Amino acid sequence: MTPILAESAAPRSRTQRQSILKRIMATPAGAILLVFVTLQIVCIAGALLYPDDFRYLSPQNLTILMKAVPVLGSLALGAGVLMIAGEFDLSVGSVYTFTAVLMASLVGAGLSAFLAAPLGILAGVLIGLLNGQITLRFGLPSFIVTLGGLLFWRGAVLLYNGAVQVRFDPESAFTSLFSGTLFGINAAFIWIVLFVIGFHFLLHRHRFGNHVFATGGNRGAAEAIGIDTNRVKLIAFAIAGGMAAVAGILATARVGSVQPGQGAGLELQAIAACVIGGLSLRGGRGSIVGVFLGVLLIHTITDVLLLLRAPGFYLDMFIATLIVLAAIFNHLIERRGLA
Amino acid sequence: MSHLLELHNISKSFGALTALRNLSFHIGEGEVVGLLGDNGAGKSTTVNLISGIHKPTDGYLTVDGRKTAFTCRSDSAEAGIETIYQHTALVDSLSITRNIFMGRELTDRFGFLRQREMRDIAMEVLQNAVHISGIDSPDTLVGNLSGGQKQAVAIARAVHFKKRVLLLDEPTSALSVRETEALLNQVLKLKAENVSSVLVTHNIYHAYQVCDRFVIMSHGTKVFDVAKADTTISQLTDYVVLT
Repeated sequence: MTPILAESAAPRSRTQRQSILKRIMATPAGAILLVFVTLQIVCIAGALLYPDDFRYLSPQNLTILMKAVPVLGSLALGAGVLMIAGEFDLSVGSVYTFTAVLMASLVGAGLSAFLAAPLGILAGVLIGLLNGQITLRFGLPSFIVTLGGLLFWRGAVLLYNGAVQVRFDPESAFTSLFSGTLFGINAAFIWIVLFVIGFHFLLHRHRFGNHVFATGGNRGAAEAIGIDTNRVKLIAFAIAGGMAAVAGILATARVGSVQPGQGAGLELQAIAACVIGGLSLRGGRGSIVGVFLGVLLIHTITDVLLLLRAPGFYLDMFIATLIVLAAIFNHLIERRGLA
Repeated sequence: MSHLLELHNISKSFGALTALRNLSFHIGEGEVVGLLGDNGAGKSTTVNLISGIHKPTDGYLTVDGRKTAFTCRSDSAEAGIETIYQHTALVDSLSITRNIFMGRELTDRFGFLRQREMRDIAMEVLQNAVHISGIDSPDTLVGNLSGGQKQAVAIARAVHFKKRVLLLDEPTSALSVRETEALLNQVLKLKAENVSSVLVTHNIYHAYQVCDRFVIMSHGTKVFDVAKADTTISQLTDYVVLT
């Protein structure tokens, strides 16, 4: 009896181990979580082994990381919700700059930052709604419409402000609210974590989120069941625009000024974070945690390459490779899902 | 006596093309009707008309004897009619539970989902109302199901929301033999619970297995309307092929 039991016990534990790994991989953010944790373990081990050469765990480095994540994080969260709903927004980088310039110049003209910041968000939401209206009314690909938005709002920054930097001098309460520290943690980082939690509940625990996934996953089915998919998409466009403005607030509060060219390329990084985080380019798939892990991964890799004093072009090549690998992986998951 | 659903002299034209001419038939309570006909006979137009996607050019529908006009799909859904298409009705990237409750989510007053409750109901519907082989959890993504299992989920959705008529549009054309058997048994089981079904198909053999009555269409109108007891497969075939 005993040998039989032993034999039957061994494979069971092996399949159990496999199924835990499988279960992690099957969750929307599972694969990226594995990659992220592995990378962290390697980095932390490296930092402990070579504390002088690889200062990953130094307080300065951790502070830099925490300050860098929120801006791309805000952009990616907004773009991610829209992507799950089945649309793109390439204009978020330009909208981010435009709303930041708007807010900074309003504060420069004497308005309280506590009023100027909501106005900036409102402007972002309105631009998002405009993108959405044009896309949906005329049945155009949002890729094209928001490519127009990217150029239009980039130009609008120069028209409104010229090619000079705008100083941002808000009241000190505003600065400490958005770029101070709480228990040693950067305020902007706390904000982005709160946004991640809020978006997680909105998308995965709320009726609206279910409609976003349904709209992006199978628009025909969503409409057949009575979901107003145009309304869902329009709200998602508004969220993308609004979160671009939030990114502008966080960046501007940290730096104390706005550069007219600062948003260039960020829209692609935001989409990259989404793809790395497991979102499908066709919509209907992905998770908020995945998007955030995608952002963290991009910044961790950036940081590691900087610490290793690698030339800047390595960074682009690394991120590029990561995007393509993530896209291939997502595609395999989707294909298996459809089989 | 009024029937559950009745079509009265319905005509439907798309520009110069007349898709339906003077079509009248009825569906009784707990009755399984086979809507048969060759390609182009007007079956799909009829389905779209009953489910509210098309409006009749002439004629009208009655539900329980009351004249109604469906202007969109939610109108027909409200009247208790659920159309089950082969592919379009489900979202592959969502779980079975989320598909069953899609657009009709159970939420608290802030709109947050009552997930456990929905999951429990989905589990119960899958186990009791619809027997789907090979599904062990309502958390399974619909994209991982076979064609027959997907249709079973769509039927489960109709069953849970207490639909009175199921319109099954070519339900068996993409199914395996075993899945087809399961689906047809499902139709009979629902009939026992007084749910009517309309089986729109050109597979006469499948229809003959479960239907109580047959309506045969040709060139946009009804050419034969007969109870199962009064006909044979070969007579039905003749009508479909020769008219």
